[in-house]
Amino acid sequence: MERRKDLRELALEWVQRGRPLVGAGVELEIFVQEHRGLTVKAFGGEVEGLRYSHSRGVGVRALREGRLGYSYCTGLGWEDVKTAVEVAAANSLFSTADEYNLLPGGSEYTGEDLCIYDPETEETDSLRKVEMALELERLTLSRDPRVSQVETAVYADTVAHVAVASTAGVAGNYRSSDCYCYVFPIAREGDEYQTGFSFDLGVRPSDLDLGQVAAEASERALCLLGSRSMPSRRTTLVLDSFVAAEFLGMLAAALSAEAVLKGRSFLAGKVGETIAAPTVSIIDDGLLRGAPSTAPFDDEGVPSQRKELIGGGVLNGYLHNTYTAARSGTASTGNASRGSFRDRPRVGASNMFLQPGRGGREEIMRQVGEGVLVLQVVGAHAGANPVSGEISLGALGLQIENGAPVRPLREITLAGKALDFLRGIVAIGEDLRFLPFEGSLGAPTVAIADVMVAGRG
Amino acid sequence: MIDEDVAFRVIGEALSRGGDFADLFAERRRGCSLRLEEEKVEDNTSGSEIGAGVRVMRGESVAYAYTNDISEASLMETARVAAAASRGGGRATVDLEMPVSSLPRLEEHPVELDTDDFPREEKIDLLRRADQAARETGAHIAQVVVMLGDSRQEIFVVNSLGELVRDERVRVRMVVQVVAARDGEIQTGHETPGMLAGYELFRHFPPEEAGRIAAAQALTMLDARPAPSGPMAVVIANGTGGVLFHEACGHSLEADAVYKKASVFMGKMGEKVASPLVNAYDDATLTNRWGSFSYDDEGVRAARTPLIEEGVLRSFINDRKRSLRDGVAATGNGRRQSYRFVPVPRMTNTYIEIGGSKKEEIISDTPLGLYALKLGGGEVNPVTGDFIFAITEGYMIRGGEVAEPVKGATLIGNGPRVLQDIDAVADDLDFDTGMCGKDGQAVPVCTGQPTLRVRELVVGGTTEVM
Repeated sequence: MERRKDLRELALEWVQRGRPLVGAGVELEIFVQEHRGLTVKAFGGEVEGLRYSHSRGVGVRALREGRLGYSYCTGLGWEDVKTAVEVAAANSLFSTADEYNLLPGGSEYTGEDLCIYDPETEETDSLRKVEMALELERLTLSRDPRVSQVETAVYADTVAHVAVASTAGVAGNYRSSDCYCYVFPIAREGDEYQTGFSFDLGVRPSDLDLGQVAAEASERALCLLGSRSMPSRRTTLVLDSFVAAEFLGMLAAALSAEAVLKGRSFLAGKVGETIAAPTVSIIDDGLLRGAPSTAPFDDEGVPSQRKELIGGGVLNGYLHNTYTAARSGTASTGNASRGSFRDRPRVGASNMFLQPGRGGREEIMRQVGEGVLVLQVVGAHAGANPVSGEISLGALGLQIENGAPVRPLREITLAGKALDFLRGIVAIGEDLRFLPFEGSLGAPTVAIADVMVAGRG
Repeated sequence: MIDEDVAFRVIGEALSRGGDFADLFAERRRGCSLRLEEEKVEDNTSGSEIGAGVRVMRGESVAYAYTNDISEASLMETARVAAAASRGGGRATVDLEMPVSSLPRLEEHPVELDTDDFPREEKIDLLRRADQAARETGAHIAQVVVMLGDSRQEIFVVNSLGELVRDERVRVRMVVQVVAARDGEIQTGHETPGMLAGYELFRHFPPEEAGRIAAAQALTMLDARPAPSGPMAVVIANGTGGVLFHEACGHSLEADAVYKKASVFMGKMGEKVASPLVNAYDDATLTNRWGSFSYDDEGVRAARTPLIEEGVLRSFINDRKRSLRDGVAATGNGRRQSYRFVPVPRMTNTYIEIGGSKKEEIISDTPLGLYALKLGGGEVNPVTGDFIFAITEGYMIRGGEVAEPVKGATLIGNGPRVLQDIDAVADDLDFDTGMCGKDGQAVPVCTGQPTLRVRELVVGGTTEVM
């Protein structure tokens, strides 16, 4: 085990050792990922679960005249990596040649401090982290007697070390640390139960504001007690920033150039067109200081960057990796992304967010007057289709009358087309917040006019 | 994979600072995945993975640590981390019963065409056959994606009860996704045949059939009209319809949710929770089914568990922890995605058993309603039982006949209420494969049911009922 060696040096060394194994006609890329982490789950005043993780893996991409082969292994010994190099090269023989399959060349990476790593995360004692999970549960339960229990309260962190090197000249590595906490309280009144949720995240444990998370999570459950459905009607939606960020996830999938090139996006062929209200700007920024998906380079070693995908309601372009950029005759936007070392790079957003406007949630509800404040959507995986652009989701929230929330709602659905939602945006708040799940998506409160809300009664 | 003596020493180390139970789970997995899109084989990946995890249970607390290095030194270190994390103290609170009884290796899910021997060229041929069949289904097919994956997972489980299990699981699955487009309208269809078996999967489910089904769905939906909204009778087709029971009831029957009082079925054992027409099972013993196995990920023998019989709640879905803590039978449902995760109670193949009606009778007996032929994903609040489901292929039923296709429809309701409102169950049980997510872990499952009717459900759509 060569653990003391820098991962970048190790990746470069393997590229050099792998090169003669695969022959001159094959380009090689080695991606190395090492994670250490701790997850603490609290329940009923006890530690329900404590999980220490330590994983290491290597992914090998081989390109033989446009034909792609991929392999991976766990462990960081040369014998394992050697097999993966040979298998990747052999796999490439079975793929179809595609002239746009290229490895990116070497680049200089930013020397600025991106604020994505703090040794405090590893140095903090595990007992302190255990205490944080227990404290989060305790604080959540202490808010209101109707918060009868907490389904789960979690503290988790990961310290990652990533490196990539290739025969095309890429060589880089970085360290990052992520800490987050979340809680799902259950509020009860009579026979009715409602669940709430909140979270916080940062690069070090001391970034997390447990009191704020406890308060917000409880409030999100409590405010839904007494909810019922409402008669179907077209109305204005006010999407809470959590919910707006979930919608942004659908947009991120449709903005992938891979989806566009392959006819799997409702945004295909719309560059230069006005696809959203003029107040809408959507930015993807892989260099956003301290944000969850910030890194000096993407998952194939292309420097991260900031780009405005939608500006003033006009679609400016898509997210690209090296392959989609070559095929589209443009440059990579630094959005190569892979789930883990087990996967070849595809396309994905880094930190994607809706540019905030003015006013908080209350102010936006006042502007809107009548409508529905949406606090939770259910079914986002199946109900927000980035291929067809169709949206059909269940929701919970509050009915807005005279500019203020008056009654909790459940068993309602929202339906329509994503483009109509985008064009129907009538207000954007200033309360931008990043949701760390499934990427890093940020949105403020958003109001959308004239949406079909269905219910009963 | 791991020497028995080493395994016992690891368990001893895990309990060296106290605890009620400890186990070691190790796995070696190798797999291959291929992806065809735009008629090109664009991805061809194979790899291998080794890992092991040590768990120490102490009361309700579980400490877990894992590693990719299964050398003795590394496993002992991993056990030390888990032991320290369990915050024990003093001597071991259980007597180790070593050496152990090694449970028999079972050959109940035979593999005919082994994944290791199946040639790559033939795998590519399977992709092309599915792709071509989909493209030949109609003129408006815009894109076809075919993914094929196989895996061989060897597992090794040893615990402080002195049980040792070795098993191997071979799985193959194909996913076909089709995009159809016409005049700016885009619709999608998908089909996912899979088995706990080798490449004989495609003798049972020819790739052409998967391609045609996915394509037909996308093409049909191009002609669909916007779905109506409001309450109506809903006939849910056999096969994929089972996902509704899985999501809206199955998760609430998992014992961890019940223990946490986060289940609508809490305290209802032996009570009537469904229409007397409803019999539901979780059965990991079904031969070669996608969600089957011989032993679960805690080394417990797979079982057929009656969940609901004639409408009465019979059993929850248990894992080792709930079994040890609550003194109930382990039902063989302790599952995990891999060595990186702690096992939790999970469904396997979960289905509603056949009833006495015929599908044709149920439809002809429905004056106005919705026929949900294919359900997409859905989500459920296990505490309340409230759910929402996307209907990916749906039709109106008018005058007892299946009428025009509708799009953008969702089903919205409450699991226990729907169980009570089932008023007809047919005899055409079928299964569908899926990957079920819970606690950040995905495991293979089957959902199943015969055609059945729910008296009334709220359909969420974009128009009024006409």
